[in-house]
Amino acid sequence: MAAKKAGPGSLKLSSVLDLNEASALHAKLLSMRGSDIVIDASGVERLGVQCVQVLVAGANAWDDDKKSFAVQKPSDAFVKTMQLIGLDTQNLVAKEI
Amino acid sequence: MDMNEIKEIFFQECEEQLAELESGLLKLNDGDRDPETVNAVFRAVHSIKGGAGAFGLDDLVGFAHVFETTLDCVRSNKLEPNQDVLKVMLKSADVLADLVTASRDGGGVDEARSRGLVKELEALAHGEMPSAHAEVAKPAKAEAPKPSDDSGFQPIPFTFDGFDDDVPAAKGSVYEIGFKPRHDLYAKGNEAALLLRDLSKLGEMSVGCDMEQLPTLDKLDPEASYFSWKISLTTEKTEADIRSVFEFAEWDCDLDVKLAAAKPSDEELPMVPVPFDLSSLDDELGSDTKAADEAAAVVATEAAANVSKMAAAAARVEKKEAAAPAPAPAQAAATAAAGQTIRVDLDRVDRLINLVGELVINQAMLSQSVIENDASGTSAVNMGLEELQQLTREIQDSVMAIRAQPVKPVFQRMSRIVREVADMVGKQIRLVTEGENTEVDKTVIDKIAEPLTHMIRNAVDHGIESPEKREAAGKDPEGTIKLSAKHRSGRILIELIDDGGGINRERVKQKAIDNDLISPDANLSDEEIDNLIFAPGFSTADTISDISGRGVGMDVVKRSIQALGGRISISSRPGLGSTFTMSLPLTLAVLDGMVVTVAGQTLVVPLTAIVETLQPEASAIHSFGATQRLISIRNSFCPLVDVGRILNFRATQANPVEGVALLVESEGGGQRALMVDAIQGQRQVVIKSLEANYTHVPGIAAATILGDGRVALILDVDAVVAASRGQSLSPEMSLAATG
Repeated sequence: MAAKKAGPGSLKLSSVLDLNEASALHAKLLSMRGSDIVIDASGVERLGVQCVQVLVAGANAWDDDKKSFAVQKPSDAFVKTMQLIGLDTQNLVAKEI
Repeated sequence: MDMNEIKEIFFQECEEQLAELESGLLKLNDGDRDPETVNAVFRAVHSIKGGAGAFGLDDLVGFAHVFETTLDCVRSNKLEPNQDVLKVMLKSADVLADLVTASRDGGGVDEARSRGLVKELEALAHGEMPSAHAEVAKPAKAEAPKPSDDSGFQPIPFTFDGFDDDVPAAKGSVYEIGFKPRHDLYAKGNEAALLLRDLSKLGEMSVGCDMEQLPTLDKLDPEASYFSWKISLTTEKTEADIRSVFEFAEWDCDLDVKLAAAKPSDEELPMVPVPFDLSSLDDELGSDTKAADEAAAVVATEAAANVSKMAAAAARVEKKEAAAPAPAPAQAAATAAAGQTIRVDLDRVDRLINLVGELVINQAMLSQSVIENDASGTSAVNMGLEELQQLTREIQDSVMAIRAQPVKPVFQRMSRIVREVADMVGKQIRLVTEGENTEVDKTVIDKIAEPLTHMIRNAVDHGIESPEKREAAGKDPEGTIKLSAKHRSGRILIELIDDGGGINRERVKQKAIDNDLISPDANLSDEEIDNLIFAPGFSTADTISDISGRGVGMDVVKRSIQALGGRISISSRPGLGSTFTMSLPLTLAVLDGMVVTVAGQTLVVPLTAIVETLQPEASAIHSFGATQRLISIRNSFCPLVDVGRILNFRATQANPVEGVALLVESEGGGQRALMVDAIQGQRQVVIKSLEANYTHVPGIAAATILGDGRVALILDVDAVVAASRGQSLSPEMSLAATG
């Protein structure tokens, strides 16, 4: 898909990441493949499982690409939801390094 | 399913919630401070409000809302539920019940009363106590909802946070739950994270997420479902509670709930379980917080949820938590075990009962014809029949048990009557109930409410003295009325005990003399005087009040009880109070009867009416007037009634010496000897209504079918006795009409 950027991209997550947002997030991530990415999760107020699926698939893809996939400043809501659904945020946040 | 059906279910649930509300408030009134009791009370009002909102029952929503707000203050310890506060709340529960009734049946409610209570409730929510002397525990703070202005009910923000304050301690059973949402779950607007959140509230949970199915990013359908979960939940709740979390999503997910024998082993979980802290999650996770700012929005959301919930209930598959019957002195009824119930139309149960009745009759007929052909009783058929007999009896008992209901709803109604009547007459009275989970046939329950109401009113109005009189007599100014129920030898025994002044025998006797019930020189025992209050048209109240003494006396109570095949008695101790004891059959569908022959016909006489049977000797029979005869029994005379003559089975009176006399107690208190030709035996018979199948027959209460297939009529003893006193056997005198 679309242009692959050379430099690190950044993506600020919307505050409400529900079912409606999953497709948009998916499209955005696809468009940013190929370079390191920093995801700003500070503004997340609500997070649904489908967006988590997209984020985890994204993290796996970046991992395959040997690029960095970093989630920064996760909001409490983000962390709590991840814990709730049994995902250690390390899965995502740790990829910062 | 149409809206009316859903609405009907809503009202049924309202009844349950109201009962829950009242019993909770009464528990609080007795000093129970368990947060779960407060929560249960709050939930009851909250559910009624939610459902009412769905149907646009604005009055109900408005009142429930104010009530709920005040209850919320109690829940959050801003308001101490002392006696004065609970008095207002109990009254509010009454008004809420009236509003529900008005919403269902149309008609209005006492608006002044409801408005007054709204004000009182709002004042409570603001920390103002109902009366000056009341002690304020903790003044309500600014957090308490704002007052609504007088023009109407203002929506007040509220949250559910309080419910989550105490997560159940991590004890109980360990459940292993497999949860795999399908695509539809998300498509229908459900959110797996929210379901997991709700689940986490049931106890201590660890979650393992299985991401095996997750495809690569480019193959991923962002709206599909890939994650599934293995959850280990330690909770005191039941499997039904766990499943109810997934109630609206169960068709859109694979759900597997099973009880783990021991602590879950980690290897069963594909991922390392992540310990999970619930605190403050509500704020961040869902839409609740946002919605909390707009109470109206919450009401709307809940209303929608309620409708779908009720729709599910209407499908007759509702699984709900029901309080298990607590042991009779139910003081320790803190935690009610959960059970599952289904709602069934009464008609269906009745049809089943009817069919089982037929089965019992059919089995009896079969037995009889086999016995006739197999005198020795040893054939295999005969043995098999005995087993069949046992089985049918068990089936019958089980089916009867379906109709059996606890007397609790009736008892709860009584507490309202005590409150209202006590208020009216300015007395302080506490109603204590015991054994309210005692079960009895629904028909009996429906029919005891009226006589019981009458007796309770009497007890409040006449039984308990005024606070001043009580204090003067060295008693607690607050009187106590105790209503208890228990099973006793196949019957239900209901006792109404008051600690009032007891029966004023002097006055009762004087009144009876004034009313020509007894002669002035009659020499009566204390017990006989006490029983005079059951005489027709007797009222001792000095003034005719609104509450009792309207000329409808205890005689009506006694007649209704007798119509149910029951008995009532009184014992009284001057200065200490009175005890009314009612003994009622557990069911009206079967009856223990004595099968007798009268002029070639077979009749059944209810066993409860018979005091004794005897074979009259010629010397004991005395003529009295032209047609009357008396029988001398142990030096007293008792009128002899020829049943065959009264029922017009024969033209002339039979010779008493050739028959058997059944000594029965009649409603007037006196005894009569009913003459029948012979006794065939005693047996339990299935009652068939004559009115429903044929038409009313004077002197006959109902009919039954005997083992040989013949129809036998069940005698209406009271009607026959009344007829023997010269009254005609008119339908009004019949058991059916008084019942």
